Amino acid sequence: MTRQFKWDSGIGLLGLLLLFVGSYIGLFVAPSERYMGEVQRIMYVHVPCAWNAMLVYMLAFIFAIISLWTHRPKWDAATTAAAEVGIVLNSLLLVQGSIWARATWGVWWDWDVRLTTSLIMLLLFAGVLALRSFVHDASRRATWTAIATIVAFVDVPLVYFCVRWWRSLHQVQSTPDTVAPMMVVPLRINAFAILFIAIWMMTQRARLELDRRRQDQVSEPERLAPIGGSNNA
Amino acid sequence: MPDGVIIGGWNYVIAAYSITAAGLLAYAWSLALRRRKFRTQEEG
Repeated sequence: MTRQFKWDSGIGLLGLLLLFVGSYIGLFVAPSERYMGEVQRIMYVHVPCAWNAMLVYMLAFIFAIISLWTHRPKWDAATTAAAEVGIVLNSLLLVQGSIWARATWGVWWDWDVRLTTSLIMLLLFAGVLALRSFVHDASRRATWTAIATIVAFVDVPLVYFCVRWWRSLHQVQSTPDTVAPMMVVPLRINAFAILFIAIWMMTQRARLELDRRRQDQVSEPERLAPIGGSNNA
Repeated sequence: MPDGVIIGGWNYVIAAYSITAAGLLAYAWSLALRRRKFRTQEEG
């Protein structure tokens, strides 16, 4: 138990440390962009949140398939944890993007294809957690969560590819060839930072879910017991 | 200075970084609170 605690705490602390280093380089060392000036520095938190939100949703999708396949509680807990952490990162990327849009496009929001699909992605996974809260039977809850997660995941590739498939205000994905090396460094550091923090969060959330399920299993026979003891008499 | 260049904008950058930090901290805090609540329930 102590060993497990050290493992995820270490990952979380490493993530935090990297986030400080990456943000420092992004804010004070990396050059400002030719047209967007200082505002472009939002990229060093916005893009890592976007990458990791999609990665975490993909993990939720994989965990959901394994959960359906095996019916083991740990995979249901992992699916729930990944969906919830994905929602946190998805919310952050929408807020950061909105701030960036206000500075560069002059509006807080536009019903652009990238922004709209990202909002739908958030609502779909929020729907997964809402659906989960309505089902009381643990086994049925796990099945519904897995199915809903698989359905919700359909939007994730759409978010990634929509800027290539349709006309969008949002720029297409950059590559290290199109970005200055000093801009790539903080971007990558923060990407790993958010990834490590997300892993820590998912581990904590999954553990909480498993503990809750264990408690439900213990209290279930008490709820089902007849009032006044045995009714065999 | 060519047209279409954004001057300043540090307030937007600070807002984006502050919201990111606040969001991550708030979620981490909520995890800790839920865990604490669960332990209290289990003991009680």
